[in-house]
Amino acid sequence: MRAMALIVISMCTALAPAVAAAQDAAELRKQIEQLQKQLDAVTERLRRLEAQPAQPTPAPTTPAGVPPGPGVAAPPPASPPSAMDLARPRQPFSLYQQRGSGQLLFDMGIAGDFVGNITQHNVERAGGGTFPGQENRFFPREVELSLFGQIDPYASAVVRFEAGEETRGAETTVHLAEAYLTLLTLPYGTQARLGQMRNRFGWSNEVHEHDLPWVDRPNVMRNFFGPEGLQEKGMEVTLVPDLPFFIEALAGIFNGDNETAFGRGSLRYPLVTGRLRTFFELGLEHAIQLGMSVGSGYTDEVNRSTILGWEARYKYRPDGWLHPLLTVTGEGLYSFRTVDVGVDLDGDGAIDVVDKRQRNHSGFYVGLEVQPFRRWAGGVRYDWSQYPTTPGWEWAIEPYVSFWPSEFLRFRLAYKYTDRSPQTRDAFNLNDSSARKVDEILFQASFILGAHPAHPF
Amino acid sequence: MPRTFRTVLVLAFMALWVSAASAADKVRVVATIPDLKALTEEVGGKLVDVEALARGTQNAHELEIRPSLMLKLRRADLLIENGLELDSWADVAVQGANNPNIVRGAPGRVDVSRGIQVLEVPSVRVDRSMGDVHPLGNPHYSLDPGLAPIITQNIVDALARFDTDHRVEFEKNRQAFLARLDEAMARWTRAMEPFKGAKVVVYHPQWIYLLSRFGLSQAATLEDRPGIPASPAHLTRVIRQMKEERIKVIIVEPWNDLKLASRVADEAGAKAVVLASMVGGVKGADSYIGAIDHNVTALVTAMK
Repeated sequence: MRAMALIVISMCTALAPAVAAAQDAAELRKQIEQLQKQLDAVTERLRRLEAQPAQPTPAPTTPAGVPPGPGVAAPPPASPPSAMDLARPRQPFSLYQQRGSGQLLFDMGIAGDFVGNITQHNVERAGGGTFPGQENRFFPREVELSLFGQIDPYASAVVRFEAGEETRGAETTVHLAEAYLTLLTLPYGTQARLGQMRNRFGWSNEVHEHDLPWVDRPNVMRNFFGPEGLQEKGMEVTLVPDLPFFIEALAGIFNGDNETAFGRGSLRYPLVTGRLRTFFELGLEHAIQLGMSVGSGYTDEVNRSTILGWEARYKYRPDGWLHPLLTVTGEGLYSFRTVDVGVDLDGDGAIDVVDKRQRNHSGFYVGLEVQPFRRWAGGVRYDWSQYPTTPGWEWAIEPYVSFWPSEFLRFRLAYKYTDRSPQTRDAFNLNDSSARKVDEILFQASFILGAHPAHPF
Repeated sequence: MPRTFRTVLVLAFMALWVSAASAADKVRVVATIPDLKALTEEVGGKLVDVEALARGTQNAHELEIRPSLMLKLRRADLLIENGLELDSWADVAVQGANNPNIVRGAPGRVDVSRGIQVLEVPSVRVDRSMGDVHPLGNPHYSLDPGLAPIITQNIVDALARFDTDHRVEFEKNRQAFLARLDEAMARWTRAMEPFKGAKVVVYHPQWIYLLSRFGLSQAATLEDRPGIPASPAHLTRVIRQMKEERIKVIIVEPWNDLKLASRVADEAGAKAVVLASMVGGVKGADSYIGAIDHNVTALVTAMK
């Protein structure tokens, strides 16, 4: 019995470390299994993260201190930011992340626009052609360098330099055509544009020469705003309200430098502009844009000048077509202008008093274009216009054909007949010649190098 | 004002208000192309309200910027874009929409090309003499159903960033969609198996992702160069090549000239087949899987 007890005790003594070792091993195995599980989880997570594309982490509207990115609640952007949100510093982030190092952070493009015209000798002498002083010449009307892109998360900018031959045989001049910034993140559906710009007055005024569907700017726009249209320095604000249909309201304040329409050029007598634009789609194939504009400022003589504008543009594009089959564009202007008129009271040939008179004049154009093929389009434009201050009127008709070898190159050939009323004789009889009836053949070659923004409707 | 007219006006406003209120609970998403709309709908389910800027029958390279696009974008919480310069026109529409949520760089602007292995990235200096080339590579990756997991993952992350509470549901929807896609993929792979290595001619070079997925190769394009209409000399060369290499199929986009493609196909003894370049491009291609299904079926039928 004692021997038995001794055996049991010695076995227990001998087995105790073995049991402890076995327990240690089991514990160790457990730990290893846990570590293995953790490693598997980490490996799986790493694999998923590697498979998962990187996300844009920045969130400009995220309040400071809240790390943006997946899994973090962004504030509902539907509600417009408060004044405090706008004032609070926001995190910068990288733009154009797909671009490599050394590449520009903005786009640039060049548009070249060359025009030529052939007309009668008397028209050339009188300087009464579509391009006054440039009759019977081929010349660079507009070679434009455009730089555009984001300034930062909140604003974009456009800068355009233009070069062109402005008078016969003169050196080509370069000038700043446009330079403006657009504030993109303003609240309540608003946006502001500041700088020097082509005003959004009507449809065609904002369109650059090389993008126009005709060789020349419509007569009414040239007569009332000058050969290059309305370009001003100041600020425009647009509002697109949250409605079930599209409507855009615009208000602007400018110097009023345009000498043809205004000319005072001072913010003490500013040019104030406005525009309402709406758009309807009639099924998938028909679309129409309607708009009304107003510009009211002062002339150099501090007389009030107000111009009202109406615009309509219709397009028919069969479903799946790369281009519209039919485009109809029309604009009308009505000008209310006070002018100083010298009055000779006693008939001695000398002006005795300067009287204020009202000149209410108008004009319009309608253009129709048919594009049955991708490369070819043909159309016609009819113009009728008075002059802002002088009596008389003119009408013109301009059929044309356009050919695009590619999206970036275009040639256009047009014929234009202009007929001016007898009252305009004084205005178009320079050098003892007359330009009352004008026949012109117009030619245009335009190209685009590099980036060019998509064309709006 | 007649009473009937007044009643109609009041009812119309009430209907608008009710629809606006119900839509307010959902994430308002605008996708630039219908493929991304379809995929967002799959992932977002009832929690999202999705619209597309382009239609399936349009050429997504050069969309006309209508104010109606700006109207769609005006209220968007998220703008999902394809990227790789396919839909860079969206910038102009966004600028006219006056919506700070989706301006470039904002959290609501989502480029789903992240993580995609882009094909046909130019390895030499590119210029327009090569046509309308994409300097960042071929942007038509949504035509490859094998890339849908990456695209939908990007969409889930974007939606979840906006609506954190529903991340699990978005992921669940995604997994359910991917399971259906996997089933379809097995079917498509089986159907295309006999044609592995076959050559096809395409009108515009936008099918490389689909062709690569199923082992086909692009022998030539009907366009002279991308975006440049074909010259007669080029077409003659293509016809000769098709005859020599016994190419049986010309793939045509819904917006391209089917008559021209059919003429070339007739000359070469092949078939011109219109595939859905995007969801909704052809009849029956009304969903993402439906569009790929149509494309695979049409290819198999034409190549038999």
